[in-house]
Amino acid sequence: MAERGDFYETLGVPRTASQDEIQRAYRKLARQHHPDINKAPGAEDRFKEISEAYDVLSDPETRRRYDAFGPDFRQVPADVDPETWRRMRASAGAGQARGARPGGFGSGPGDLGGLDIEDLLGGLFGGRAGRGWGPIPGADQEAELELTVEEAYRGGHRSVALEGPDGRHSFDVKIPAGVTSGQRIRLAGQGGRGSDGAPNGDLYFVVRIASHPRYRVEGRDLYVDLPLAPWEAALGTSVAVETPGGEMKVKVPPGTSSGKRLRLRNRGLPHPRGHAGHLYAEVRIMVPGKLTDPERQLFEQLAAVSTFDPRRR
Amino acid sequence: MGYALIRPVRLNLEAFARATGTHPELIRRLVALGLLDADRDAAGELWFAPSQVAAMGRVQRLRAGFGLNYAAIGLVCDLLDRIAVLEAALRISRR
Repeated sequence: MAERGDFYETLGVPRTASQDEIQRAYRKLARQHHPDINKAPGAEDRFKEISEAYDVLSDPETRRRYDAFGPDFRQVPADVDPETWRRMRASAGAGQARGARPGGFGSGPGDLGGLDIEDLLGGLFGGRAGRGWGPIPGADQEAELELTVEEAYRGGHRSVALEGPDGRHSFDVKIPAGVTSGQRIRLAGQGGRGSDGAPNGDLYFVVRIASHPRYRVEGRDLYVDLPLAPWEAALGTSVAVETPGGEMKVKVPPGTSSGKRLRLRNRGLPHPRGHAGHLYAEVRIMVPGKLTDPERQLFEQLAAVSTFDPRRR
Repeated sequence: MGYALIRPVRLNLEAFARATGTHPELIRRLVALGLLDADRDAAGELWFAPSQVAAMGRVQRLRAGFGLNYAAIGLVCDLLDRIAVLEAALRISRR
């Protein structure tokens, strides 16, 4: 078990805090971090720490003992004088410095000499409510998973690291090809731990597709800009378009204006159990910023000859 | 000790009590209070969907974490479910 922090720090109150202040701080933090309200994977462990700190500090007698003996107060027999204890700790500490296990009480901070703190507290949730509840299944947790359009298209495996109670833990997430924003990928039994052998909750990765310099994503459909020269748009052409599945030829029919969407069927994000999305190439007619002399002459000629009026109603 | 849930279609009261580690009487009460969903068959026996194991866990955690009474647990569960629906809708509209 990782070393626990100071109970006052955990609750964010000064050592001089009144019982009222401790209660208020606990209620506030508990509401924020309760695993059914806060789905972040770290919330449950934070909630545990808060509950443990409150268990100790809410009772004036255990609080007094915690103040006198520090984090190891549970190991101290009831009738020990704080001064004597401090002297014993000092000599035990010297022993530790030489690499030896301290004798006597025989344990370092956080280690309760083979006793699990969970047992003392009656499990995370079992203890506070009293008896009769028995094992409690763990809560489901959620974490965000940002994917590129390419990753969502291809699917595959991705290793994701999350802060857990015992440091960073890395999860192998199987991404189905064609996953969309908002979809949840379930890792069964990887969520909050159940107490007393009750089943764990599930961990859900909620997919968010990151904004892409070229593709816009709507559901499974992809949109991509298709810049065309005025003569290409007027005369028609065939151009190469990048798609997540590789380069594709798009036929631009003659007389294509800006804003027209050319559809590439089923070239959007795949659908594991249905129809793939489409890829739409949106035409944008571009003109040269600076015309060469021959270009200018040709455009002037065109202007003189053409009767086309794009603003005619 | 864990109890393997081999994805039965539904659990009877006894199996549900075993899976959640709770007393059948408590479960009956929670069903009566509308905190758990259960079907009653012709013989009057209660049947639970596997998803209700997680629902039971939530009831237990809320009870244990906040000392809520059953009416308040029902309210909190309803609100949490509504928030989950709203958050899912928000995720879809934001993409």
